[in-house]
Amino acid sequence: MLKVENLHVSVDDKEILRGVDLSVGQGEFHVVMGPNGSGKSTLALTLAGHPRYKVTKGTLLFDGESILNLGPDERARKGILLAFQVPPEVEGVKIIEFLQQVLVELKGIDPAEAYDAIVKKAGELWFKEDDLHRYVNVGFSGGERKRLELLQALLIEPKLLILDEPDSGVDVDSLSIISRKIEELNRAGTAVLLITHYGRILEHLDPGTFRVHVMKDGRIVMERGGEFVNEIEERGFQAIFEECGCDE
Amino acid sequence: MSETITLADAKAVIENQIEELARRNKEPEWMTKIRYRALEAFERAPHNDPVISEEQLLHFIAKPEVEGIPEHIESLEDLPAELKALLDRLGIEEVEQKYVAGLAVQTDTGVIYNQFLQEWAKKGLTVLPTEEAVRRYPDLVKEHFLRLFRVDESKLTAYHTAVWNGGIFLHVKEGLKVPFPLHLFFLIQESALAQAPHIIIIAEPNTEFHLIEGCTAPILVRHSLHLDMTEAYFGENAKGQLTVLQNWPEYVHTRPMTRAKIGKNARFINTTVGLGTGKSNTANPKYWVDENGYVELNGILLGQKDWYVDLGGEMYLQGPGASGINASKAVIMDESTVITRGIITAEAPRTKGHISCDALLLSDKSRMETYPGLVSKVDDAELSHEAAIGKIREEELFYLMSRGLSEEKATQLIVKGFLEPMLKDIPMEFLVEIRKIIELAVSGGM
Ligand SMILES: Nc1ncnc2c1ncn2[C@@H]1O[C@H](COP(=O)(O)OP(=O)(O)OP(=O)(O)O)[C@@H](O)[C@H]1O
Ligand SMILES: [Mg+2]
Repeated sequence: MLKVENLHVSVDDKEILRGVDLSVGQGEFHVVMGPNGSGKSTLALTLAGHPRYKVTKGTLLFDGESILNLGPDERARKGILLAFQVPPEVEGVKIIEFLQQVLVELKGIDPAEAYDAIVKKAGELWFKEDDLHRYVNVGFSGGERKRLELLQALLIEPKLLILDEPDSGVDVDSLSIISRKIEELNRAGTAVLLITHYGRILEHLDPGTFRVHVMKDGRIVMERGGEFVNEIEERGFQAIFEECGCDE
Repeated sequence: MSETITLADAKAVIENQIEELARRNKEPEWMTKIRYRALEAFERAPHNDPVISEEQLLHFIAKPEVEGIPEHIESLEDLPAELKALLDRLGIEEVEQKYVAGLAVQTDTGVIYNQFLQEWAKKGLTVLPTEEAVRRYPDLVKEHFLRLFRVDESKLTAYHTAVWNGGIFLHVKEGLKVPFPLHLFFLIQESALAQAPHIIIIAEPNTEFHLIEGCTAPILVRHSLHLDMTEAYFGENAKGQLTVLQNWPEYVHTRPMTRAKIGKNARFINTTVGLGTGKSNTANPKYWVDENGYVELNGILLGQKDWYVDLGGEMYLQGPGASGINASKAVIMDESTVITRGIITAEAPRTKGHISCDALLLSDKSRMETYPGLVSKVDDAELSHEAAIGKIREEELFYLMSRGLSEEKATQLIVKGFLEPMLKDIPMEFLVEIRKIIELAVSGGM
């Protein structure tokens, strides 16, 4: 479904991704790990079509078609959704109105139906109806923002959900609800590309059901089975990179 | 401008209008005298408008009407095609469309005086066309007419005073709290007279009211210059709100002149929503605030095309504990220029003032200037200001678009969101239309 080949990406003429290869099939679950600054968020934002991240080389296929020339909105319509590492505040825009509009446009349902769906799903993620009348992310804590990102994923039900650190800064209880909801979406057919630093969010998953990609200096340098997460947590990237000879 | 018009020519035109008004309104002599004094003042008063030159002003006076606007509008079908199309696109209620087109009332200066208002009249609420108030309540009008302006301050005040016609007289008797907003439309003027409505608001002690003036639909006027004057008086502990909605056609220069005296513990919230500000719109409202009184000037400005908008605002905090806020939010597109210049003067102890100015620039050629002025004549006043002028943040736009909204839709959301906090006191039926107008403006459809 998603096929990334030899992807090179620059921001402000600075090359950050230097030949990324990655494939995600329908309904699959993939994890991306890697040290700070290795390019994980850059990859996520590039897939979602951020205008400042310029693809200088390589291919990017979704359902067999190049999406390189598509804007972020068109990619969303094709079924790609990015849950941001740092979702921005949008002053004056109420969550409920924003989500209603999104559902009306993406799914063609009417606003009243959208309203009910939003309130229902919001409850599952511990948002009260009042919260939905707040402005998008304004004054929300880090953990609340992550839950709001997930709420959007639950409502939109994308084909490919890219999650950029949905677990960082999140308390234990929220983490458990977030990880369960991700699994729920995945079981219902959404392919997941999850960026994380910790194995905890994957605790409930059978390691045999997902793949782990390790990123370093703008490239994916290793791909392993789910159990590799434990090894990374125990030994750290330094040791692993030395052993594999991934250091140039 | 073909022929040159001299000051004497303009004076002759004004004199004719005074005579016509005196006759038409069966005006008491004292009012006609005020008009004649204004005519004299017109000659010597200074003219200092940033956009309209003296020559142009004389021209507007001699030949006030814009060409190509139908003389009589009897049904919506008589409206110019673009205006009709715009009303349709806005989806404005047919009723309002009719009001807008002046179909619901007979006279130039009519107030829609329904039964509802008549009930309230018994309780002490007077809403009358100013002309009628001059005849029926001469003492009250004398006491409050042109008390906050000097006739010779400028050629515009003098001209307005000489030819004023139309406008509202609102009087709220002591202790009366009006629980619903009073809504007054500026109607199309059928006469060839200058557009110079005069509004008088008298809120006696312990009263409450909310007056909404204008409408969201574009106003069809036949004149190039609109010169309204508002004088508001707030007694002790009176709480009033004046919301002005403006959607002028692009050939009109508007010069609203507003002044208010705010008594002890009184509150005045003055909101102006400039959806269509006309070719140029300059205003410098003034407020005098007594002990523990409060005044708030909220300006919502949508600068489009090549329009020039200049919103001032002078607040004089004269009693101890008085406070004032001058806040504006401007969305500026195309090649429009918006300037804000509030001044707050603290003249008494423990006074507080704050000026804020936020602007969102939507094009490279749009322009914003802000000149906050804070003057303190005492040592314990708290005066502050803040300004933020910027473009739409890429991160926000990307975030909204990554949820499937087009760039246009996402921009509309951000612009509406930017203005949203300022629209807090505006009744729902207008909000819906205001949002629609903003959407249309952002997508270049106005
Ligand atoms: N807009 C930008 N301008 C300049 N440099 C950038 C920009 N965005 C990313 N970079 C740089 O690119 C590199 C990769 O950043 P990226 O955010 O993709 O890392 P990451 O793997 O997500 O890190 P973390 O684990 O800390 O989230 C970093 O060195 C970062 O400073
Ligand atoms: Mg990151």
